[in-house]
Amino acid sequence: MIELVNVKKVFNAGNPSEFSALNSVNLHIGENKVTVLRGPSGSGKTTLLSIIGCMSRPTAGRVRLGGREISSLPERFLTDIRRKTFGFIFQQPNLIKGISVLENVMLPAYPLGEPRSRLREKAMQGLAELNISTKAASKVEWLSGGEAQRASIVRALINKPTIIIADEPTAHLDTKLSQRFMEIIEKFKAEGKTVIITSHDPLVCDSKMVDRVINLRDGRIEGEPS
Amino acid sequence: MILHPAVIANLLASYIASFMVVYAAYYGAQILRRWDIQSGAELQLVLERKTYLISTLLTYVFGLQLLSLFLYVFTADTLCPLFVGAMCAAGTLNVNGFGYPTLVLKMVNFLLAGLWLVLNHADNQGYDYPLIKKKYLLLAFIAPFIILETILESAYFLDMQADVITSCCGSLFSSERVTGLGSEIASLPAKPMIWVFYIAMSITLACGVFFYRKGKGGYLYAALSVLMFVISLVSIVSFISLYIYELPTHHCPFCIIMQEYHYIGYLLYILLFGAVVSGIGIGALIPFRQVESLHSMLSGFIGKLALASVVLYAAFTVLVTYEIISSNLVMTYEVAS
Repeated sequence: MIELVNVKKVFNAGNPSEFSALNSVNLHIGENKVTVLRGPSGSGKTTLLSIIGCMSRPTAGRVRLGGREISSLPERFLTDIRRKTFGFIFQQPNLIKGISVLENVMLPAYPLGEPRSRLREKAMQGLAELNISTKAASKVEWLSGGEAQRASIVRALINKPTIIIADEPTAHLDTKLSQRFMEIIEKFKAEGKTVIITSHDPLVCDSKMVDRVINLRDGRIEGEPS
Repeated sequence: MILHPAVIANLLASYIASFMVVYAAYYGAQILRRWDIQSGAELQLVLERKTYLISTLLTYVFGLQLLSLFLYVFTADTLCPLFVGAMCAAGTLNVNGFGYPTLVLKMVNFLLAGLWLVLNHADNQGYDYPLIKKKYLLLAFIAPFIILETILESAYFLDMQADVITSCCGSLFSSERVTGLGSEIASLPAKPMIWVFYIAMSITLACGVFFYRKGKGGYLYAALSVLMFVISLVSIVSFISLYIYELPTHHCPFCIIMQEYHYIGYLLYILLFGAVVSGIGIGALIPFRQVESLHSMLSGFIGKLALASVVLYAAFTVLVTYEIISSNLVMTYEVAS
Protein backbone atom coordinates (compact mmCIF):
# COMPACT_ATOMS: atom_id res chain seq x y z
CA MET A 1 0.00 0.00 0.00
CA ILE A 2 2.74 2.43 0.98
CA GLU A 3 6.13 2.09 -0.64
CA LEU A 4 9.24 4.17 -0.03
CA VAL A 5 12.13 3.93 -2.48
CA ASN A 6 15.57 5.30 -1.52
CA VAL A 7 14.06 8.04 0.61
CA LYS A 8 16.51 10.57 2.05
CA LYS A 9 15.79 13.60 4.16
CA VAL A 10 18.44 16.21 4.84
CA PHE A 11 17.78 19.29 6.96
CA ASN A 12 19.76 22.52 6.46
CA ALA A 13 21.50 21.10 3.38
CA GLY A 14 24.69 22.93 2.53
CA ASN A 15 24.92 24.61 5.94
CA PRO A 16 27.35 23.74 8.73
CA SER A 17 24.32 22.49 10.66
CA GLU A 18 23.38 20.01 7.89
CA PHE A 19 21.70 16.95 9.34
CA SER A 20 20.74 13.80 7.52
CA ALA A 21 17.61 12.46 9.23
CA LEU A 22 16.89 9.63 6.79
CA ASN A 23 19.40 7.77 4.62
CA SER A 24 18.16 5.71 1.68
CA VAL A 25 15.15 4.18 3.39
CA ASN A 26 13.36 1.45 1.43
CA LEU A 27 10.14 0.28 2.98
CA HIS A 28 6.86 -1.40 2.12
CA ILE A 29 3.89 -1.09 4.46
CA GLY A 30 0.99 -3.44 3.82
CA GLU A 31 -2.71 -2.58 3.79
CA ASN A 32 -4.78 -3.24 6.92
CA LYS A 33 -1.67 -3.80 9.03
CA VAL A 34 -0.52 -2.18 12.23
CA THR A 35 3.10 -1.11 11.79
CA VAL A 36 5.26 0.37 14.53
CA LEU A 37 8.35 2.48 13.81
CA ARG A 38 10.63 2.02 16.81
CA GLY A 39 13.89 3.73 17.60
CA PRO A 40 15.68 6.10 19.94
CA SER A 41 15.28 9.86 19.79
CA GLY A 42 16.81 11.26 16.61
CA SER A 43 16.54 7.97 14.75
CA GLY A 44 14.23 9.50 12.10
CA LYS A 45 10.86 8.03 13.21
CA THR A 46 8.89 11.25 13.12
CA THR A 47 10.61 12.43 9.92
CA LEU A 48 9.69 9.17 8.22
CA LEU A 49 6.13 9.43 9.50
CA SER A 50 5.79 13.00 8.25
CA ILE A 51 7.00 11.97 4.77
CA ILE A 52 4.59 9.00 4.67
CA GLY A 53 1.77 11.31 5.76
CA CYS A 54 2.59 13.91 3.03
CA MET A 55 3.41 16.51 5.67
CA SER A 56 6.93 16.96 4.33
CA ARG A 57 8.78 16.06 1.16
CA PRO A 58 11.86 13.85 0.89
CA THR A 59 15.16 15.36 -0.24
CA ALA A 60 15.54 12.42 -2.62
CA GLY A 61 13.61 9.24 -3.35
CA ARG A 62 10.00 8.51 -4.10
CA VAL A 63 6.91 7.59 -2.09
CA ARG A 64 4.05 5.59 -3.59
CA LEU A 65 0.60 5.27 -2.12
CA GLY A 66 -1.61 2.53 -3.54
CA GLY A 67 0.69 2.37 -6.57
CA ARG A 68 0.45 6.10 -7.22
CA GLU A 69 3.59 8.17 -6.93
CA ILE A 70 2.79 10.99 -4.48
CA SER A 71 6.10 12.64 -3.55
CA SER A 72 6.19 14.67 -6.79
CA LEU A 73 2.61 15.91 -6.51
CA PRO A 74 1.98 19.65 -6.44
CA GLU A 75 0.99 20.92 -3.01
CA ARG A 76 -2.73 21.29 -3.65
CA PHE A 77 -3.01 17.64 -4.68
CA LEU A 78 -1.09 16.63 -1.56
CA THR A 79 -3.51 18.62 0.58
CA ASP A 80 -6.36 16.64 -0.89
CA ILE A 81 -4.63 13.31 -0.25
CA ARG A 82 -3.71 14.36 3.30
CA ARG A 83 -7.27 15.36 4.01
CA LYS A 84 -8.98 12.27 2.61
CA THR A 85 -6.45 9.48 3.16
CA PHE A 86 -4.67 10.20 6.44
CA GLY A 87 -5.85 10.71 9.99
CA PHE A 88 -3.20 12.18 12.27
CA ILE A 89 -2.86 11.56 15.99
CA PHE A 90 -0.07 13.52 17.59
CA GLN A 91 1.92 13.18 20.79
CA GLN A 92 0.01 16.15 22.20
CA PRO A 93 -3.73 16.29 21.44
CA ASN A 94 -3.22 19.71 19.72
CA LEU A 95 -6.87 20.67 20.23
CA ILE A 96 -7.76 24.31 19.64
CA LYS A 97 -8.52 26.11 22.86
CA GLY A 98 -11.52 28.40 23.21
CA ILE A 99 -13.87 26.27 21.12
CA SER A 100 -15.85 23.19 22.03
CA VAL A 101 -14.81 19.57 21.64
CA LEU A 102 -17.46 19.14 18.92
CA GLU A 103 -16.13 22.12 16.93
CA ASN A 104 -12.59 20.76 17.23
CA VAL A 105 -13.68 17.38 15.92
CA MET A 106 -15.59 18.85 12.96
CA LEU A 107 -12.84 21.30 11.96
CA PRO A 108 -10.86 19.08 9.49
CA ALA A 109 -14.06 18.29 7.57
CA TYR A 110 -15.05 21.92 6.90
CA PRO A 111 -13.03 22.26 3.64
CA LEU A 112 -14.90 19.28 2.15
CA GLY A 113 -18.19 21.19 2.33
CA GLU A 114 -20.31 18.48 3.90
CA PRO A 115 -23.65 19.78 5.22
CA ARG A 116 -23.21 20.87 8.82
CA SER A 117 -26.10 18.79 10.16
CA ARG A 118 -24.66 15.59 8.69
CA LEU A 119 -21.18 16.49 9.86
CA ARG A 120 -22.44 17.15 13.37
CA GLU A 121 -24.19 13.79 13.40
CA LYS A 122 -20.99 12.07 12.27
CA ALA A 123 -18.90 13.87 14.91
CA MET A 124 -21.37 13.01 17.68
CA GLN A 125 -21.34 9.37 16.59
CA GLY A 126 -17.53 9.36 16.75
CA LEU A 127 -17.53 10.93 20.20
CA ALA A 128 -20.11 8.39 21.38
CA GLU A 129 -17.97 5.49 20.12
CA LEU A 130 -15.12 6.68 22.32
CA ASN A 131 -17.42 7.47 25.25
CA ILE A 132 -16.96 11.23 25.34
CA SER A 133 -20.22 12.39 23.77
CA THR A 134 -21.16 14.01 27.08
CA LYS A 135 -18.18 16.34 26.64
CA ALA A 136 -19.19 17.50 23.14
CA ALA A 137 -20.23 20.97 24.24
CA SER A 138 -17.35 21.37 26.72
CA LYS A 139 -14.41 23.57 26.00
CA VAL A 140 -11.24 21.56 25.43
CA GLU A 141 -9.49 23.24 28.38
CA TRP A 142 -11.84 21.36 30.69
CA LEU A 143 -10.88 17.88 29.42
CA SER A 144 -8.61 15.43 31.20
CA GLY A 145 -5.53 14.09 29.35
CA GLY A 146 -7.31 10.88 28.31
CA GLU A 147 -10.42 12.71 27.15
CA ALA A 148 -8.33 15.15 25.11
CA GLN A 149 -6.50 12.23 23.52
CA ARG A 150 -9.77 10.54 22.59
CA ALA A 151 -11.16 13.83 21.20
CA SER A 152 -8.06 14.11 19.00
CA ILE A 153 -8.64 10.52 17.79
CA VAL A 154 -12.24 11.33 16.84
CA ARG A 155 -10.95 14.40 15.01
CA ALA A 156 -8.44 12.24 13.11
CA LEU A 157 -11.28 9.96 12.00
CA ILE A 158 -13.80 12.59 10.96
CA ASN A 159 -12.92 12.36 7.22
CA LYS A 160 -12.96 8.54 7.36
CA PRO A 161 -9.27 8.10 6.48
CA THR A 162 -7.94 4.72 5.37
CA ILE A 163 -4.58 5.26 7.06
CA ILE A 164 -4.11 6.34 10.68
CA ILE A 165 -0.78 7.88 11.59
CA ALA A 166 0.06 8.22 15.25
CA ASP A 167 3.25 9.90 16.49
CA GLU A 168 4.22 8.74 20.00
CA PRO A 169 0.54 8.55 20.99
CA THR A 170 1.12 7.06 24.43
CA ALA A 171 4.00 9.32 25.47
CA HIS A 172 1.80 11.36 27.79
CA LEU A 173 -0.64 8.65 28.82
CA ASP A 174 -0.54 6.43 31.90
CA THR A 175 -0.67 2.64 31.55
CA LYS A 176 -4.44 2.37 31.77
CA LEU A 177 -5.02 5.06 29.12
CA SER A 178 -2.28 3.55 26.92
CA GLN A 179 -4.05 0.18 27.06
CA ARG A 180 -7.31 1.91 26.21
CA PHE A 181 -5.57 3.56 23.24
CA MET A 182 -4.35 0.18 21.97
CA GLU A 183 -7.89 -1.18 22.23
CA ILE A 184 -8.98 1.65 19.94
CA ILE A 185 -6.17 0.75 17.53
CA GLU A 186 -7.39 -2.85 17.50
CA LYS A 187 -10.81 -1.54 16.54
CA PHE A 188 -9.31 0.42 13.64
CA LYS A 189 -7.58 -2.71 12.42
CA ALA A 190 -10.84 -4.64 12.60
CA GLU A 191 -12.44 -1.92 10.47
CA GLY A 192 -9.79 -2.48 7.77
CA LYS A 193 -7.69 0.61 8.41
CA THR A 194 -3.92 0.74 8.08
CA VAL A 195 -2.18 2.05 11.18
CA ILE A 196 1.37 3.40 11.44
CA ILE A 197 2.65 4.30 14.89
CA THR A 198 5.98 5.68 16.05
CA SER A 199 6.78 4.60 19.56
CA HIS A 200 9.39 3.14 21.85
CA ASP A 201 6.78 2.28 24.46
CA PRO A 202 6.93 -1.54 25.05
CA LEU A 203 3.19 -1.49 25.67
CA VAL A 204 2.75 -0.47 22.03
CA CYS A 205 5.67 -2.33 20.41
CA ASP A 206 4.97 -5.63 22.16
CA SER A 207 1.21 -5.52 21.67
CA LYS A 208 -0.24 -8.62 20.01
CA MET A 209 -2.19 -6.62 17.43
CA VAL A 210 1.00 -5.10 15.99
CA ASP A 211 1.87 -6.85 12.72
CA ARG A 212 5.33 -5.44 12.20
CA VAL A 213 7.92 -3.51 14.17
CA ILE A 214 10.50 -1.61 12.13
CA ASN A 215 13.62 -0.58 14.03
CA LEU A 216 15.20 2.68 13.01
CA ARG A 217 18.63 3.95 14.00
CA ASP A 218 20.58 6.90 12.63
CA GLY A 219 18.10 7.38 9.84
CA ARG A 220 18.32 3.81 8.58
CA ILE A 221 16.19 0.70 8.98
CA GLU A 222 18.17 -1.75 11.07
CA GLY A 223 19.18 -4.82 9.15
CA GLU A 224 19.24 -2.98 5.83
CA PRO A 225 22.63 -2.64 4.15
CA SER A 226 24.06 0.88 4.55
CA MET B 1 16.14 61.72 -18.44
CA ILE B 2 13.05 63.35 -16.96
CA LEU B 3 12.65 62.51 -13.29
CA HIS B 4 8.94 61.98 -13.18
CA PRO B 5 7.31 59.47 -10.78
CA ALA B 6 5.64 57.66 -13.68
CA VAL B 7 8.98 57.32 -15.52
CA ILE B 8 10.62 55.90 -12.40
CA ALA B 9 7.69 53.50 -11.93
CA ASN B 10 8.00 52.32 -15.55
CA LEU B 11 11.74 51.76 -15.32
CA LEU B 12 11.50 50.01 -11.94
CA ALA B 13 8.74 47.72 -13.21
CA SER B 14 10.80 46.92 -16.26
CA TYR B 15 14.01 46.20 -14.32
CA ILE B 16 12.16 44.03 -11.80
CA ALA B 17 10.45 42.08 -14.61
CA SER B 18 13.73 41.56 -16.48
CA PHE B 19 15.62 40.47 -13.37
CA MET B 20 12.92 38.01 -12.37
CA VAL B 21 12.55 36.63 -15.89
CA VAL B 22 16.32 36.07 -16.19
CA TYR B 23 16.32 34.32 -12.79
CA ALA B 24 13.36 32.18 -13.83
CA ALA B 25 14.83 31.45 -17.27
CA TYR B 26 18.04 30.19 -15.61
CA TYR B 27 16.09 27.59 -13.63
CA GLY B 28 13.81 27.06 -16.62
CA ALA B 29 16.85 26.02 -18.67
CA GLN B 30 17.77 23.49 -15.96
CA ILE B 31 14.22 22.15 -16.02
CA LEU B 32 14.32 21.83 -19.81
CA ARG B 33 17.62 19.91 -19.68
CA ARG B 34 17.29 17.82 -16.51
CA TRP B 35 13.58 17.32 -15.77
CA ASP B 36 12.63 13.66 -15.36
CA ILE B 37 9.46 13.03 -13.37
CA GLN B 38 10.25 9.30 -13.13
CA SER B 39 13.48 9.98 -11.28
CA GLY B 40 13.75 10.25 -7.51
CA ALA B 41 17.13 11.96 -7.74
CA GLU B 42 17.87 14.89 -5.46
CA LEU B 43 18.14 17.31 -8.40
CA GLN B 44 14.71 16.31 -9.70
CA LEU B 45 13.14 16.95 -6.29
CA VAL B 46 14.92 20.31 -6.06
CA LEU B 47 13.54 21.23 -9.49
CA GLU B 48 10.03 20.17 -8.42
CA ARG B 49 10.25 22.51 -5.43
CA LYS B 50 11.83 25.30 -7.50
CA THR B 51 9.10 25.23 -10.07
CA TYR B 52 6.56 26.33 -7.42
CA LEU B 53 8.67 29.36 -6.63
CA ILE B 54 9.36 30.18 -10.25
CA SER B 55 5.82 29.82 -11.52
CA THR B 56 4.44 31.86 -8.59
CA LEU B 57 7.04 34.52 -9.19
CA LEU B 58 6.40 34.60 -12.93
CA THR B 59 2.66 34.86 -12.39
CA TYR B 60 3.23 38.16 -10.59
CA VAL B 61 5.92 39.31 -13.03
CA PHE B 62 3.76 38.65 -16.07
CA GLY B 63 0.79 40.23 -14.29
CA LEU B 64 3.01 43.29 -13.89
CA GLN B 65 3.99 42.96 -17.57
CA LEU B 66 0.31 43.15 -18.59
CA LEU B 67 -0.18 46.28 -16.51
CA SER B 68 3.04 47.86 -17.75
CA LEU B 69 1.61 48.32 -21.27
CA PHE B 70 -1.10 50.59 -19.88
CA LEU B 71 1.32 52.28 -17.47
CA TYR B 72 3.64 53.02 -20.39
CA VAL B 73 0.88 54.62 -22.47
CA PHE B 74 -0.42 56.47 -19.40
CA THR B 75 3.11 57.81 -18.76
CA ALA B 76 3.53 58.95 -22.35
CA ASP B 77 0.17 60.69 -22.11
CA THR B 78 1.07 62.32 -18.76
CA LEU B 79 4.39 63.65 -20.07
CA CYS B 80 3.04 65.26 -23.23
CA PRO B 81 2.81 68.82 -21.77
CA LEU B 82 6.61 68.73 -21.34
CA PHE B 83 7.35 68.49 -25.06
CA VAL B 84 6.75 71.17 -27.63
CA GLY B 85 4.43 69.83 -30.28
CA ALA B 86 3.13 66.85 -28.32
CA MET B 87 -0.63 66.88 -27.74
CA CYS B 88 -0.99 63.33 -26.40
CA ALA B 89 1.00 60.09 -25.96
CA ALA B 90 1.55 59.94 -29.75
CA GLY B 91 3.84 62.97 -29.62
CA THR B 92 5.65 61.89 -26.45
CA LEU B 93 6.42 58.49 -27.97
CA ASN B 94 7.95 60.29 -30.93
CA VAL B 95 10.47 62.39 -28.92
CA ASN B 96 13.18 59.88 -29.85
CA GLY B 97 13.56 56.73 -31.88
CA PHE B 98 12.84 54.30 -29.02
CA GLY B 99 9.28 55.25 -28.02
CA TYR B 100 7.31 53.39 -30.68
CA PRO B 101 9.56 50.30 -30.85
CA THR B 102 9.11 49.97 -27.06
CA LEU B 103 5.35 50.25 -27.46
CA VAL B 104 5.31 47.54 -30.13
CA LEU B 105 7.45 45.27 -27.92
CA LYS B 106 5.16 45.91 -24.97
CA MET B 107 2.18 44.85 -27.05
CA VAL B 108 3.97 41.70 -28.24
CA ASN B 109 5.10 40.93 -24.70
CA PHE B 110 1.57 41.46 -23.42
CA LEU B 111 0.35 38.71 -25.73
CA LEU B 112 3.27 36.40 -24.90
CA ALA B 113 2.94 36.99 -21.14
CA GLY B 114 -0.81 36.38 -21.35
CA LEU B 115 -0.18 33.15 -23.24
CA TRP B 116 2.35 32.02 -20.62
CA LEU B 117 -0.18 32.73 -17.84
CA VAL B 118 -2.78 30.61 -19.66
CA LEU B 119 -0.29 27.73 -20.08
CA ASN B 120 0.82 28.02 -16.46
CA HIS B 121 -2.75 27.93 -15.19
CA ALA B 122 -3.45 24.79 -17.25
CA ASP B 123 -0.20 23.17 -16.08
CA ASN B 124 -1.08 23.82 -12.44
CA GLN B 125 -4.28 21.82 -12.86
CA GLY B 126 -2.42 18.61 -13.69
CA TYR B 127 -0.88 16.42 -10.99
CA ASP B 128 2.18 15.48 -13.06
CA TYR B 129 3.34 18.89 -14.38
CA PRO B 130 2.01 18.02 -17.87
CA LEU B 131 3.01 21.27 -19.60
CA ILE B 132 6.15 22.07 -17.64
CA LYS B 133 8.60 21.78 -20.53
CA LYS B 134 6.28 23.67 -22.88
CA LYS B 135 5.86 26.59 -20.51
CA TYR B 136 9.59 26.88 -19.83
CA LEU B 137 10.29 26.65 -23.54
CA LEU B 138 7.88 29.54 -24.00
CA LEU B 139 9.65 31.38 -21.17
CA ALA B 140 13.00 30.88 -22.95
CA PHE B 141 11.38 32.41 -26.04
CA ILE B 142 9.84 35.34 -24.10
CA ALA B 143 12.91 36.24 -21.99
CA PRO B 144 14.92 37.91 -24.82
CA PHE B 145 11.89 40.00 -25.75
CA ILE B 146 11.44 41.17 -22.15
CA ILE B 147 15.14 42.08 -21.91
CA LEU B 148 15.04 43.87 -25.26
CA GLU B 149 11.98 45.77 -24.07
CA THR B 150 13.85 46.86 -20.94
CA ILE B 151 16.82 48.03 -23.03
CA LEU B 152 14.61 49.98 -25.42
CA GLU B 153 12.46 51.40 -22.62
CA SER B 154 15.57 52.52 -20.75
CA ALA B 155 16.95 54.10 -23.90
CA TYR B 156 13.62 55.84 -24.48
CA PHE B 157 13.23 57.30 -21.00
CA LEU B 158 16.94 58.02 -20.40
CA ASP B 159 17.31 59.72 -23.77
CA MET B 160 14.29 61.99 -23.31
CA GLN B 161 15.30 65.61 -23.94
CA ALA B 162 12.87 68.32 -22.91
CA ASP B 163 14.03 70.68 -25.67
CA VAL B 164 12.99 68.34 -28.46
CA ILE B 165 10.25 69.57 -30.75
CA THR B 166 8.09 66.58 -31.56
CA SER B 167 5.16 65.89 -33.86
CA CYS B 168 1.56 65.99 -32.73
CA CYS B 169 -0.87 63.13 -33.32
CA GLY B 170 -2.65 65.16 -35.99
CA SER B 171 0.51 64.91 -38.03
CA LEU B 172 1.49 61.31 -37.16
CA PHE B 173 -1.97 59.87 -37.86
CA SER B 174 -3.01 62.07 -40.72
CA SER B 175 -4.74 60.81 -43.82
CA GLU B 176 -3.04 63.63 -45.71
CA ARG B 177 0.51 62.49 -44.97
CA VAL B 178 2.02 60.12 -47.43
CA THR B 179 4.48 58.17 -45.27
CA GLY B 180 4.32 56.22 -42.01
CA LEU B 181 2.22 53.27 -40.86
CA GLY B 182 -0.09 55.53 -38.81
CA SER B 183 -0.88 57.68 -41.81
CA GLU B 184 -1.33 54.71 -44.08
CA ILE B 185 -3.89 53.21 -41.69
CA ALA B 186 -5.55 56.60 -41.27
CA SER B 187 -5.78 56.82 -45.05
CA LEU B 188 -7.88 53.68 -45.27
CA PRO B 189 -11.39 54.60 -46.40
CA ALA B 190 -13.56 54.76 -43.29
CA LYS B 191 -16.85 53.46 -44.63
CA PRO B 192 -15.51 50.22 -46.15
CA MET B 193 -13.51 49.70 -42.96
CA ILE B 194 -16.76 49.86 -40.97
CA TRP B 195 -18.11 47.03 -43.13
CA VAL B 196 -14.88 45.06 -42.80
CA PHE B 197 -14.95 45.49 -39.02
CA TYR B 198 -18.56 44.43 -38.52
CA ILE B 199 -18.45 41.53 -40.98
CA ALA B 200 -15.16 40.21 -39.56
CA MET B 201 -16.45 40.62 -36.00
CA SER B 202 -19.70 38.80 -36.83
CA ILE B 203 -17.78 35.87 -38.31
CA THR B 204 -15.38 35.81 -35.34
CA LEU B 205 -18.19 35.89 -32.76
CA ALA B 206 -20.20 33.25 -34.65
CA CYS B 207 -17.14 31.00 -34.80
CA GLY B 208 -16.45 31.62 -31.09
CA VAL B 209 -20.02 30.76 -30.06
CA PHE B 210 -19.93 27.66 -32.30
CA PHE B 211 -16.68 26.51 -30.69
CA TYR B 212 -18.03 27.22 -27.19
CA ARG B 213 -21.17 25.19 -27.81
CA LYS B 214 -19.88 22.39 -30.05
CA GLY B 215 -16.19 22.24 -29.15
CA LYS B 216 -15.21 22.33 -32.84
CA GLY B 217 -13.23 24.92 -34.79
CA GLY B 218 -10.92 25.97 -31.95
CA TYR B 219 -7.88 26.62 -34.14
CA LEU B 220 -10.01 28.63 -36.54
CA TYR B 221 -11.33 30.77 -33.69
CA ALA B 222 -7.80 31.30 -32.33
CA ALA B 223 -6.63 32.47 -35.77
CA LEU B 224 -9.72 34.65 -36.21
CA SER B 225 -9.22 36.24 -32.80
CA VAL B 226 -5.69 37.32 -33.83
CA LEU B 227 -6.97 38.61 -37.16
CA MET B 228 -9.82 40.42 -35.39
CA PHE B 229 -7.35 41.99 -33.00
CA VAL B 230 -5.40 43.48 -35.92
CA ILE B 231 -8.58 44.58 -37.71
CA SER B 232 -9.84 46.22 -34.49
CA LEU B 233 -6.59 48.15 -33.98
CA VAL B 234 -6.73 49.33 -37.60
CA SER B 235 -10.42 50.20 -37.16
CA ILE B 236 -9.66 52.34 -34.12
CA VAL B 237 -7.31 54.47 -36.23
CA SER B 238 -9.43 54.29 -39.35
CA PHE B 239 -12.96 55.10 -38.16
CA ILE B 240 -13.70 54.43 -34.46
CA SER B 241 -11.55 57.39 -33.37
CA LEU B 242 -13.40 59.68 -35.79
CA TYR B 243 -16.72 58.97 -34.07
CA ILE B 244 -15.25 59.37 -30.59
CA TYR B 245 -13.61 62.74 -31.45
CA GLU B 246 -16.53 63.74 -33.68
CA LEU B 247 -13.94 64.99 -36.16
CA PRO B 248 -13.66 63.50 -39.66
CA THR B 249 -9.89 64.03 -39.85
CA HIS B 250 -8.60 63.10 -36.37
CA HIS B 251 -7.41 59.48 -36.33
CA CYS B 252 -5.22 59.38 -33.20
CA PRO B 253 -5.40 56.08 -31.27
CA PHE B 254 -3.97 57.75 -28.15
CA CYS B 255 -6.20 60.80 -27.56
CA ILE B 256 -9.04 58.39 -26.69
CA ILE B 257 -7.28 57.52 -23.42
CA MET B 258 -7.53 61.15 -22.27
CA GLN B 259 -9.92 62.53 -19.68
CA GLU B 260 -11.78 64.58 -22.34
CA TYR B 261 -12.97 61.31 -23.83
CA HIS B 262 -13.74 59.72 -20.46
CA TYR B 263 -10.68 57.44 -20.71
CA ILE B 264 -12.72 55.31 -23.12
CA GLY B 265 -9.54 54.19 -24.87
CA TYR B 266 -8.34 52.24 -21.82
CA LEU B 267 -11.57 50.28 -21.76
CA LEU B 268 -11.43 49.60 -25.51
CA TYR B 269 -7.83 48.39 -25.34
CA ILE B 270 -8.38 46.27 -22.20
CA LEU B 271 -11.32 44.51 -23.90
CA LEU B 272 -9.32 43.99 -27.08
CA PHE B 273 -6.16 42.67 -25.44
CA GLY B 274 -8.14 40.46 -23.06
CA ALA B 275 -10.09 39.00 -25.98
CA VAL B 276 -7.04 38.16 -28.07
CA VAL B 277 -5.08 36.63 -25.18
CA SER B 278 -8.06 34.38 -24.35
CA GLY B 279 -8.42 33.55 -28.04
CA ILE B 280 -4.82 32.53 -28.66
CA GLY B 281 -4.86 30.66 -25.34
CA ILE B 282 -7.48 28.35 -26.86
CA GLY B 283 -5.22 27.54 -29.80
CA ALA B 284 -2.28 26.93 -27.47
CA LEU B 285 -4.19 24.50 -25.23
CA ILE B 286 -6.15 22.45 -27.76
CA PRO B 287 -3.20 20.08 -28.54
CA PHE B 288 -3.10 19.06 -24.87
CA ARG B 289 -6.74 18.05 -24.46
CA GLN B 290 -5.82 14.37 -24.59
CA VAL B 291 -3.13 14.58 -21.89
CA GLU B 292 -4.36 12.19 -19.19
CA SER B 293 -3.88 14.42 -16.17
CA LEU B 294 -5.56 17.38 -17.94
CA HIS B 295 -8.29 15.42 -19.65
CA SER B 296 -11.00 16.10 -17.07
CA MET B 297 -10.42 19.83 -16.70
CA LEU B 298 -8.88 21.22 -19.87
CA SER B 299 -12.04 21.20 -21.95
CA GLY B 300 -13.76 23.23 -19.23
CA PHE B 301 -10.89 25.71 -19.05
CA ILE B 302 -10.75 26.08 -22.85
CA GLY B 303 -14.52 26.65 -22.80
CA LYS B 304 -14.09 29.42 -20.22
CA LEU B 305 -11.39 31.03 -22.37
CA ALA B 306 -13.67 30.88 -25.41
CA LEU B 307 -16.52 32.42 -23.44
CA ALA B 308 -14.22 35.16 -22.08
CA SER B 309 -12.88 35.93 -25.54
CA VAL B 310 -16.32 36.06 -27.14
CA VAL B 311 -17.77 38.19 -24.33
CA LEU B 312 -14.83 40.62 -24.48
CA TYR B 313 -15.04 40.97 -28.27
CA ALA B 314 -18.81 41.39 -28.03
CA ALA B 315 -18.38 44.05 -25.33
CA PHE B 316 -15.81 45.81 -27.53
CA THR B 317 -18.29 45.78 -30.43
CA VAL B 318 -21.14 47.05 -28.25
CA LEU B 319 -18.95 49.87 -26.97
CA VAL B 320 -17.81 50.82 -30.48
CA THR B 321 -21.40 50.71 -31.73
CA TYR B 322 -22.55 52.87 -28.84
CA GLU B 323 -19.83 55.42 -29.63
CA ILE B 324 -20.85 55.46 -33.28
CA ILE B 325 -24.58 55.80 -32.53
CA SER B 326 -24.16 58.44 -29.83
CA SER B 327 -21.62 60.47 -31.85
CA ASN B 328 -22.61 63.74 -33.52
CA LEU B 329 -20.41 62.83 -36.47
CA VAL B 330 -22.37 61.75 -39.50
CA MET B 331 -20.35 60.37 -42.38
CA THR B 332 -22.54 60.91 -45.41
CA TYR B 333 -19.57 61.20 -47.70
CA GLU B 334 -16.29 59.35 -47.99
CA VAL B 335 -13.59 60.70 -45.67
CA ALA B 336 -10.68 62.04 -47.70
CA SER B 337 -8.22 59.37 -48.62
